[in-house]
Amino acid sequence: MNNWFKQIGLTLVLMFSAIGLAQAGSSQGAEQPVATDGQIWSQLKAGATGVTTSHGEFHNQPINTYDLRVLELRSDLLAPALTAALFGMIIIFVLFIKVNGISKLHGGFSGKLVYRWSKFDVSIHWLGAIPCLLLILTGLTLLAGRFFFQPYIGEGLWAGFVYAAKQVHDFMAIPFMLGWALMTTLWAKNQLPKMYDLKWMMVVGGYINFGPFKGKHPDAGFANAGEKLWFWAFAVFGLVISASGMLLLFPNLFEPSRTLSLIALVLHSVSAIIITAFSIVHIFMATVMSEGGMECMVSGYCDETWASQHHNLWFDEIKENGTLKYKD
Amino acid sequence: MATMKFLCDTKRCIECNGCVTACKNENDSALEWGIQRRRVVTINDGQPGEASISVACMHCTDAPCQAVCPANCFYKTEDGLTLHNKDTCIGCGYCLYACPFGAPQFPKKGAFGSRGKMDKCTFCAGGPEENHSDAERQKYGSNRIAEGKLPMCAELCATKSLLAGDAEIISSIYRERVAYRGSKNAIWG
Repeated sequence: MNNWFKQIGLTLVLMFSAIGLAQAGSSQGAEQPVATDGQIWSQLKAGATGVTTSHGEFHNQPINTYDLRVLELRSDLLAPALTAALFGMIIIFVLFIKVNGISKLHGGFSGKLVYRWSKFDVSIHWLGAIPCLLLILTGLTLLAGRFFFQPYIGEGLWAGFVYAAKQVHDFMAIPFMLGWALMTTLWAKNQLPKMYDLKWMMVVGGYINFGPFKGKHPDAGFANAGEKLWFWAFAVFGLVISASGMLLLFPNLFEPSRTLSLIALVLHSVSAIIITAFSIVHIFMATVMSEGGMECMVSGYCDETWASQHHNLWFDEIKENGTLKYKD
Repeated sequence: MATMKFLCDTKRCIECNGCVTACKNENDSALEWGIQRRRVVTINDGQPGEASISVACMHCTDAPCQAVCPANCFYKTEDGLTLHNKDTCIGCGYCLYACPFGAPQFPKKGAFGSRGKMDKCTFCAGGPEENHSDAERQKYGSNRIAEGKLPMCAELCATKSLLAGDAEIISSIYRERVAYRGSKNAIWG
C-alpha cells in the first residue's frame, strides 16, 4: 500500500517538473516586455492621453506639444506689425499728403449730386465700419498693448483698460461680421477685375501729383482698381478673421483644441494686420485725399465732377442707360 | 535664489490621488466649483507600460502662458515661480491654449469668452496680495512658501514620488534614486 503511494507520488512529481521545465524553456530567449521600457517620456511628449479623475478641460493629456515659435511670432513679429499697420500707415500717409498734396476736383464742385449708393448700402457700410474701427483699436490693445502701453500706466488703470478692450472686442465682433457678410455678398458684382484696372494700377490711380504720374486720370468703373483690391482683401481676410474669431469667441460651441486655438490666434492677427493697413488707406482716401469722396458714404450721393473724374466709365454708363439719378 | 520646481517620479507614483486631495484641501478658499489645480493622469491604464504622473503648473522658467497673456498678468517670483494676478486677468483663455500642461483652469466656459478669472497652481505661494491676507486666501489659497514650507501636494505624497523644491536639490535626490535602482529601465523616460 505504502509503496503504491510512493510510485504515484513520484510519477506526479516528474510530470509537473517536466511541465515546469518545458515552460521555463519556452519563456527563455523571447525577452519579457519591461513595464515601461524607457518610453514614458517619448509617449508623453507625443501627446499621449490617459485616465484621470479630473473633469478639467484637456486634463486627460499630461503634455500638449506644439511649435513654441508661435509665442515669439506673436510677440516679436505680429505685435509690432499691427502697431506699424496702424500708426506707421498714418505717419506714412500724413507725410505723403504733405509732400504730394491731395487730389482736388478739377473745376471744383458742380453742386449736382449723383445717386451712387442706396441708404441701405450706406447703413451696411457703417454697420461694418464703426465696429471695425473699434475692433482695430481694442485688438491692438490686446495684441500689443502690453508692450507699448502698459509700461506707462498704473496696474489698476491697465487692468481696467485691457478688460474694457476685451469686452468691446468680443461684442463688436457680431455687428462687424454682419456688415462684412452683407457688404461682401451684395457688392461683389461691381468689384470684378477688368483690364483697365491694370492701367489704373500702373499710374497709381492718378493720385500722384509729381513726375510722370502727374495729371493722369486712368479709367475706372463703379469701383476703381484700388477699391477693388481693398474689397477683395477685405472679403478674404474678413472671412479668415471672422472664422478664427468665432473659434475664440465661442469655445463652448466649437470646442477647438488648444493648438487649433493658437493657430486661430495667429491667423486672426495676420488678417488684422492686413485689414488695418488697408483701412487706414481707405479712411485717408475717403476723408482727406480724394476731395468730395466722403459724401458718398454720408448721403449716398456724389458730386457730378467727382463721378466723372474718378469713375468716368461708370458715369458714362449710367448716363447712357438712363439710370443716372440726381438728388432733388 | 532658489529655482523652485516639481518633479514626479513615475516609478513611485501609485495613482493614489493624495496630492490632488492635499491641494484641494489646502487651497479650498480660492477654488471655485469644478476647478482642480493638480491631477494624476495614468497612461496605458491596465496595459503593459502603465505609468501614472501627477501634473499641475510646472512653473516654467520660460512660461508660455506669460508670453501669450494679453493683459500681462503673470509674473515670476524670486523663487522662480510663475504666478498671476487675478485682478488683471481678463479671462480670455490664451494661457490655457499655450500651456503644454493644461494647468490654467477657468470657472466657466461661456460664449463671448466669458470664462471668469483663471486659476492655477501657485506652488502654495499665494499671489500678489499681502502674505496671509484675506484677499490672498480668497483669490489664491494658501501661502506656505512665506512660512518656509513646501507645497502641500509634495509634502503629503505617501511614496515621495512628487518632489517639490529647489531644482538642484530635487534633481540630485532623483539622480540618487536612479543610481540605486541601477537599471536603465528605472529612469523616468
